[in-house]
Amino acid sequence: MTALLRRHPALVPGVLFAAFLLLAPVFAQRGMLNDLWNMAFFVVLASAWNLLGGFAGQVSLGYSAFVGIGAYTTVLLANAGWSPWLTLPVGAALAVAFSVAVGLPTFRLRGPYFTIATIGVGEAVRVIASGLEFTGGSSGLRMPQGTFDFNANYYAMVGLALLTLALVAWLQKHAFGLALEAIRQDIDAAEALGVHSTQAKLTAHAISAALVAIGGGLFATNFQYISPGSVFDFRLSLTIVLMPIVGGMATITGPVLGALLFSYLQIKLLASPTLRDSYLFIYGGLLIVVMLFEPKGIVGLWERLIGLRPRRRAQPPVGEARRAS
Amino acid sequence: MQKFVIVALNSLLAAGLYATMSYGLAVIYGVMRIINLAHAGLMMLAAYATWALNDRFGLDPFLSMIIVAPAFFVLGMALYATLIRWLPRSAAGPSMQSLLLLFGVWLVLQNLAYAIWGGDTQSILTPYTMESVPFLGGRLGVPQILVFVVSILSLVGLNLVLRRTYLGKAIRAVTQNRDAAMLSGVNAGQIAAVAFGIGTAFAAMAGSMLSTLYAFTPDFGRSFLLKAFCIIVLGGMESFTGVALGALVLAFIENFASAYTSIPVSYQDAISFTLLVVVLVAAPGGLPGLWRMLDRRVVAR
Repeated sequence: MTALLRRHPALVPGVLFAAFLLLAPVFAQRGMLNDLWNMAFFVVLASAWNLLGGFAGQVSLGYSAFVGIGAYTTVLLANAGWSPWLTLPVGAALAVAFSVAVGLPTFRLRGPYFTIATIGVGEAVRVIASGLEFTGGSSGLRMPQGTFDFNANYYAMVGLALLTLALVAWLQKHAFGLALEAIRQDIDAAEALGVHSTQAKLTAHAISAALVAIGGGLFATNFQYISPGSVFDFRLSLTIVLMPIVGGMATITGPVLGALLFSYLQIKLLASPTLRDSYLFIYGGLLIVVMLFEPKGIVGLWERLIGLRPRRRAQPPVGEARRAS
Repeated sequence: MQKFVIVALNSLLAAGLYATMSYGLAVIYGVMRIINLAHAGLMMLAAYATWALNDRFGLDPFLSMIIVAPAFFVLGMALYATLIRWLPRSAAGPSMQSLLLLFGVWLVLQNLAYAIWGGDTQSILTPYTMESVPFLGGRLGVPQILVFVVSILSLVGLNLVLRRTYLGKAIRAVTQNRDAAMLSGVNAGQIAAVAFGIGTAFAAMAGSMLSTLYAFTPDFGRSFLLKAFCIIVLGGMESFTGVALGALVLAFIENFASAYTSIPVSYQDAISFTLLVVVLVAAPGGLPGLWRMLDRRVVAR
């Protein structure tokens, strides 16, 4: 038990926080629950993105496409008479198919080239969704009446967030997570050691796409109305990318901290018109500050603060340090 | 046949603008191995600056470039001095860190435009905006012709600077091999600052010219950034002629696709994106790389 805790120092606060989220409907007001729902949604988005963008280092700016696919699938099928719950796996499957279709060509690109290609993918999807007829064009679609059940949706979203975190943490400790890590550090070396990099990236992309799409489906049920402006929005893609980057990429806790920060920011932004008009200043400024001073985000900053104490001792020679570790 | 000639001419006119817009990216990439995502924001800001000068003082958009371009040159140097130079340098290729930093700059520029000018769509109307001249039985727009002429002038100017001056030679030397250039006494940091200024000035010129052709909002520029990126990838990232060739190829494909196929105009941006992915996947060296490869095969035979 102590060994487990030493390896995962965030486990205790994590479990306490999960318990708080699960028990919140008993005592909390509806307004607070809405905020918590949004936070859980952000945790899903940030942690799922982190699998590909953080661990594998493939920064994608087109993730709102998966939110949109999940949301549209849910609304369209619910209007065809399906139960909203049954639409979630369908949306996830479609998102997986789309992630593979997009990934096969774009994963041949490396680093920044991949990132720029994903801007194009996001643009293309938004344009197409606004132009198609069965998606209701730019005016969007409404859920059928009687599909709204906040409490069930809340538990589903919190459950999805916990599932995402558990899945990412589990993957990180296994060969797959190590393969992604190797790809990020040096893709050629990883290939030389027998990592099938394209396959690993495609798998990571598919897993995160499925999780994000389920989140998108729950989003549609909760808000009862979607439009290309709400789910395919560039701002959503931006938030998805910024949460793990500001929190700390390639860590479990980083995206959660990012989600906490950004859901708080969002509440503040919605409450004040002046802040709402300057959200790009805040987002852009955060990005600049993080990239200049601490590319590992809040987690990196924290580790640096913790690391201050041992660093004061004389550094052991390189050879000794190697043997010690 | 007549339609063919007119479409070809329009493609040529568009290619001039595309080249101007891409050289800014290419110079910065060459010297610093950085993909300047803020390029789109800088073009947008220049479009607004041109609009403001036109609105306030009635200055012609093409004349206002004389003010806007130098101002953006200084802005680019300032950006370099405050942000870019602190980035860790990577020899291998562009780093994620620089990309995301410049992405942040782009967002800040967008918000700056929202804060100053609001989110309404703006456009510049000059006496010649709607004018066109008859040519070979078709008609060519006057703004398009002016944009083409200014683009060619600016490109000839850039080429002269790159070929004939010490500064230009230093820029090309750093592009080819930074370490060797430094060993020969080139101050690479200074050259990088100037190159970033030049890149920004070219973004500004492209933005000024775009403002005479298109309406714009603070969100403006994303599709042109994708186009410019597609062009420099087509052009093999570093070569001067390659970029011009890439601009021609993209302009011709876009114009002919919209003239001879039934692809809706709103999907036109998808062409550059598709081309980008196809080129990056099939010929990562761009047109020059493809040419070298074919050349080698012919020689081997």
